[in-house]
Parts: sequence; structure tokens; C-alpha cells
Amino acid sequence: MDVFGSFALLLALVCGVYAFAGGIAAIITRHPLLVKSTRQAGMATCVLVFIGTFSLEYLFFTDNFASAYVVSHSNKDLSTFYKIAALWSGMEGSLLFWSFILSIYVLSVLIAYRNKNGELMPYVGVVMAGVQTFFLLLNNFVESPFKSLAAPGANGIMNLVARSDGNGLNPLLQYPEMVIHPPNLYSGYTGFTIPFAFALGALLARYPGEKWIHLTRKWAMIAWMFQSMGIMLGAHWAYAVLGWGGYWGWDPVENASLLPWLTGTAFLHSVMMQEKRGMMKVWNVWLVFCTFMLCILGTFLTRSGVVSSVHAFAQSNIGPWFVGFISLTFLTCLVAYLKNRDYLKSENQLDSVISRESSFLFNNLLFLVACIAVLSGTLFPVFSEWFTGDRISVGAPFFNKVDIPIGLLILFLTGVGPLLAWRKTSPDSLKRNFGWPLAFAAVCATVAFALGFRKPYSLICLYLCLFVAATIVLEFYRGATVIRARSGASYPACVIDLTMRNTRRYGGYIIHMGMVFVFVGLSGAAFNKDVQKGMRFGESMHIGPYTLVLQTSDTKPNPNYTAQRMVVEVLRDNQPMMILNPEKRHFLTAKEENGTMVAIYSTLKEDLYVVFAGDDPETNLPVIHAFLNPLVKWIWFGGVLVVFGTLTALMPNRRAVLVLAGTTQPAAAHPAAQPLPSSVSLREGHD
Amino acid sequence: MTKTRTFVAIAALLTLGMLPVLIAPAGAQQTDRAKQIGGKLVCGVGTSLCNCKQILTQCNHVGCMNSSMMLKTLDEKVAKGDAEESIVQAFILEFGREVLAEPPKSGFSLIAWLMPSFYLLAGAALVIFVISRWRKRPAAEAAATSQAAMALPPELLARARAEATRATED
Repeated sequence: MDVFGSFALLLALVCGVYAFAGGIAAIITRHPLLVKSTRQAGMATCVLVFIGTFSLEYLFFTDNFASAYVVSHSNKDLSTFYKIAALWSGMEGSLLFWSFILSIYVLSVLIAYRNKNGELMPYVGVVMAGVQTFFLLLNNFVESPFKSLAAPGANGIMNLVARSDGNGLNPLLQYPEMVIHPPNLYSGYTGFTIPFAFALGALLARYPGEKWIHLTRKWAMIAWMFQSMGIMLGAHWAYAVLGWGGYWGWDPVENASLLPWLTGTAFLHSVMMQEKRGMMKVWNVWLVFCTFMLCILGTFLTRSGVVSSVHAFAQSNIGPWFVGFISLTFLTCLVAYLKNRDYLKSENQLDSVISRESSFLFNNLLFLVACIAVLSGTLFPVFSEWFTGDRISVGAPFFNKVDIPIGLLILFLTGVGPLLAWRKTSPDSLKRNFGWPLAFAAVCATVAFALGFRKPYSLICLYLCLFVAATIVLEFYRGATVIRARSGASYPACVIDLTMRNTRRYGGYIIHMGMVFVFVGLSGAAFNKDVQKGMRFGESMHIGPYTLVLQTSDTKPNPNYTAQRMVVEVLRDNQPMMILNPEKRHFLTAKEENGTMVAIYSTLKEDLYVVFAGDDPETNLPVIHAFLNPLVKWIWFGGVLVVFGTLTALMPNRRAVLVLAGTTQPAAAHPAAQPLPSSVSLREGHD
Repeated sequence: MTKTRTFVAIAALLTLGMLPVLIAPAGAQQTDRAKQIGGKLVCGVGTSLCNCKQILTQCNHVGCMNSSMMLKTLDEKVAKGDAEESIVQAFILEFGREVLAEPPKSGFSLIAWLMPSFYLLAGAALVIFVISRWRKRPAAEAAATSQAAMALPPELLARARAEATRATED
């Protein structure tokens, strides 16, 4: 099966190269058969990548310990569930998984648009094939997952050998979230290839109008949603598994996933400027280009060893390949832009500084500055060593100082932006839209202060969260009231009706509300407490309103590990509440690694987070580390809401609300048979 | 006049909201010294044991070979009553400047601190420049644009609607 998989990948590369080179020839010659054959080669590439990936999974399921990759990342007792995850647990498999997810996207695009957008699709196909070819080169010649174990025989010739068992999967990856977090994150990273392919394709083809934006938007939203889910699940995994009481440590690998998310978010906002007003065309194209390049950079950073991270893959020699690919991508984008920049001229102008357009400009500025701050902070140790020879660290304190103020400004604009009108906002409208939310937030923040919420950043964050939440609720209330006046239906029914009439607008509000929840959760971090103590059985410790009593410990056997469990009784006001079981797992593989399992009692107010930190080396007493983390649950709720909002925004409107965009072209000669002028487009309502 | 009053009202509400922040006592709930100092250091540097580079007091590297050792040293120094400066210097002497969790605000490292502010200011200047440039467009041209849009005949509007519906249903 390893030869079969290896051959499938090689064939996929051949098809990919044909889809790329043949696609360029098809664009030049415009020969219909060539166009068709390259599209089919693109589809064949995807199918062959699927075959290669399933072959590797088959090797895991059949415990084929002649395969070097299977030996390194699996063992006999590993459950089937984690054998699926073992696929992407190492460098070679993770790159194959990149190709696999990308192939799902590419195949979907090729099938969905096989009879549509005939002028644009060959360009899109070439760009997608180019990206696929790069990753298939890595899969075949640089980091092949189909290497077999071999040992020199008596005659000095290498013979294939098989081991009786494997080294096992990294214990930290043996958690349900690690099965779903990487696929989500990869779906985000790879998904941005599609908007990139459409943007570059449209620029190269000088594709008229804003249709490529329409086609791209949903793909960008899907990629963005997966990226958000991936980041959230990664944060939750770090929180629930690593046992340090936090969810975000500004580690280079975490930062790498945040970078395309920031530029992708900026794009999803600024794209509305192009749709509604025909503005910011250059900006949007470059945002898509940058987002894609940041995805590739993130993939590079986590695999090259350029920046040190405990979460990164092992160091390898793929760095120059990625640097070459990013450079080539940048050059292609630059040349395409310079050659066709007149195609990206803005159609409209700004009427007022206090307008939706201005808020989008500032929103984009903040997202981009946040992105640059994270990127420069992540790479600064490398630059410092290059220029001065001095090794320095750039850790969480730096990122917190730099990015928290930017985050708060973005939060402020989250409330302000959607309530400003396109073109111009009148003072009356400002008063009507902002008066009550500002007053509500001010009163609530004062109450919160009186109740002890007194850390400056947290209080500002809470105030802004309340302001944004109030503006969103007010928007839903106003819209629902209008519908209710006509239909007489209940408020919840009217809210649903309102949302379904303009899914994009109200889905966007739901996403904003999700982000408010996330920020509420983040604001609680300033009030975290923790206590650590070596405890005898029957001894207690106090944290916040809770008393923890270590009752006893036991051992929980599992085919793959042995868990040492602490039995910790939790009391509140001297009343028993529950038993928590933090545990330490000892994995029975060749490497004999350890893992933790945190016990968490989670409420909307706070998380009681209990870790068994091992035995004290001097006293041999079990060490219990307890944290009291306020408001953490809001972060996970916020994440769910963001996904729900994105899914809502992806749904078609129940009844299309169409808004006429301005045109700079004379509307005199336009017989019905003529195609519509490119600047005349009636778009989904999103006021 | 109405415009001015609206802005004054909004400014007043914003100030009211910020009031608690302005009068909040600084560092009202400080953590203990060891945690505070440990938060300024990273583990896993200057050694081949592990290379995790996590904040010393929040190291999330399961099985980290350094953090417990460094925390013990830190606790001893704090218990002895050493000044923060001398504790940090002792760690720098042992592990190098890499042990500091944030870059120093001097020399080449100062660039790391200045860059975000520079980008923010340069970006803000650029946005203001773009806005002012966009606003300088002659009013007559803008009016012609909206008139042209309004002058679209019903057939074209109907076709555009149908096309937009198709495009957005993709």
C-alpha cells in the first residue's frame, strides 16, 4: 500500500504539472479541448491526492510498522480515533494533509463552476494547480510520508524491515480536540487559496465587474470560519490539556494562525466597499494576496525551525522551498498588479468623513497594524540575531502591551462601524444610534467598577463590549419591531424573519456579538488567581470561594496509558459540591511519555481549574495546582456564536434585498441584448 | 448647533464610561513578587535541555526540563529578599538576555517597540490622506454618477436584478 500511495502522489504531481502548464497554454491558445483537458487534469490531481492520503491512513489502520511514518506516530494500542489524527501528527503527514484539504477545495471549485465563468476559470485553475504542484513537490521529493524502514543486511545491501510496534502518538495529541483542531486550521489555511486564485485570476484575466468578488466572498467566509474554529479549538486544547491555566500564550505557532485570520477579517470587511461603492479594489486584491502568503508563511514558520516553539513540528530542510514559493508568489502578484493596475481604478469617491466607508478604512488599518505587530514581534528574534548577533525573546508581555490597545480600538469600531450610514451619517442618526448604547454601557461599567471590576484594560474592554452588544441588540430590536408592526408575530419570530431576509447583515451582527463574548472572556484574564500546594490526603487548600480537599488517589488502566488520578472534593461554603479528578497519564509506548488531564468546573462566572502537577521531588507529596479563571466560558460561547453567525451569513436571503450601486458609465445605449455594464451591479442588501 | 450638541453628548457619555478607569487605583490587586518577576522571564533558554521559551510562571510545556529548576532559584532569591533588579540580572548572567520575556527598550530592540506605533501613525496618516483625496473629487462628477445610475431603464434594472440574484446564490 505504501508503494501504491507513493505512486498515486507521483501521478498526482504529473497531473498537477499538466493542469498548470497546460492551463497556461489553454489561456494563450484558447483551445476549448485544452481548456477541458486541463480542468479534468485538475480534478484527477485531487482524486489522486485523496488516494494517496487514504493509502497512508490504511497503513495506520493496519499497523504497518514497515512504514517509517507509521512507526514514528502510531502503535498497536492506539485507538482507531487517534489513528486518524496520527496522519497529520508529523511533518510529512501534515504536508500531505495540506494537499488533501486543498484538493477538496479545488475539486469543489472545479465542479461548482465547470459550466460557469468560462473566461475566468482557466486562470483560476492555473493558480490552484500551481499551489497544488508546489505542495505535491514537497509530498513527493522533500517530505514523503511513504518511506519504508530499511536495515543493512549481511551483504551490506539495504533490506526492508518491519518493527513489531510503533513509537506511539505524541500524548499531547491524544485528545478529542486534537482530532478536530488541525483539520479546521488546515481548512482555514488552505481555504484562502481559493479567494487568492480568484483574485489573481480576475486580475490576470482583467475580468470585468465585481463578480469575482461575489464568487470569492463565500469561499473567503468559509476559510475564515474554519480558521476561527481552528484557532478557538487550539486555544481550548491548550487550556484543557496543557495544564498551565491559560489559552493563549503568543507562541509563534499560535501567532502564525492569527496572521491570516487578521488580514482575512480585514478583507471580509473591505470587500463590502468594493461591492457597494466600487472602491478599494487595489486594497482588496492585495489583502487577498497577503492573506494567502501569510497562510504559506504560517505553514513555513511551524515547520522550518526559523522560530522556536514548543508546538512546532520538528526542524527540517523545507525552509528554502517555502521561501522560494513565497517569493515567487509575491513576484507573480506584483507583476500581475503592475501590468493590470488600471483595471483596479476606484469608481466612487467619499462623501463624508463620518461614514461607513471611513469606518471600514480605519477598521482595515487596525487589523493590518495588529497583523504587522504580531508578525514583526514573532520574527524580531530572528532579525535581532541576524543584525546584532544578540539572541532575544519576544514573549507574551510584549504582545499584550502592543496588541491589547489595538484590539480595544477594533472592538470600538465593531460597535461604531455598522451603525454609520454609507456615504454620510447625519448628527441625528448618530444621536439615535449611539445615545442609548453609550449610556447603557457607561451605567453598567460603573456598576461593574463598584462590584470590583477595577483593572483598567479589563474595565475599558467590558465597557466597549457592553456598548457594542447594546448597538447590536438595538439593531435587531428596531428591525424586528418594524416586522412585528406589519405581521403581528412574536419578537423571536420577527428576529428570525429579519435575519433570514438579510442573512449577511444580521449574520455579521451575530459574528460581532460572538466577538463581544470573546472579549468579555478575555477581560476576565486580569483577575486570574492560582494556588499550588503539595498535599497529604485529607489536607485542604482554598481558592476564591472554594475549598479543595485531596481525598485519595487511584489508578485508571487503559490499553494505551495508565492514569494516576487524584480525587479532589470541592466544597463551597463548607457544603460539598462535587468531586474533580485531575490526572497524570503515563503512556506505555517506547518513548514512555507523560500527559496531563485537567479537571475543570466551568460556570459563566468563572472556571475552577485543577491540575495534578506530579509529585514533589523532595517531599513526594502530590502537588495540586488550582486556578480560578473568571469568564473563560464566554470565550468558547463566543467562538460558537462566531461560527453560527458565519453559517447564517453564508445562507441565501429568504427575499433578496437589492441595492443599486452608482455607475460612472452613461446609461443611454443599452439594448436588452447587450451585456450589463460592469459597473452596474445590483447586490445583496447589506446596509 | 444640533451637530455640536450631539458630539458633546457623545463625548460626555464616553467620558462617563471611562471615569471608573481614570480613578481606578493602579495595581490594586498585585500578584506576589515571585509571580511578578517570573512573568518577566522565559524558560528553556541558554540550555540544550528544552527550547520551549514559555513565560516562566506560565510554562505550558508538559515535562519542561527548565521551568521547575528556574522557579526554584527564583523562589530562593525572592525569599532572600533580593531586589527585583538584582534577581533579573542574576538570570541574565546565567542564561543571557534571551531570558527576558520582552525585548529591552534600548538599542536595536527599541525598534520592536517603536514599529507598531510607527505603522499605526503612518497608516493613520495614509488613511487620512486617502480620505481627503477621495473627498476632493468634483461634486458635479459625483452627481452625474448618481444621475446615471437613476437613469437606468426598467428592462436593464430587471436584468441586473436577475443577474445579481444568480450571482449571490452561487
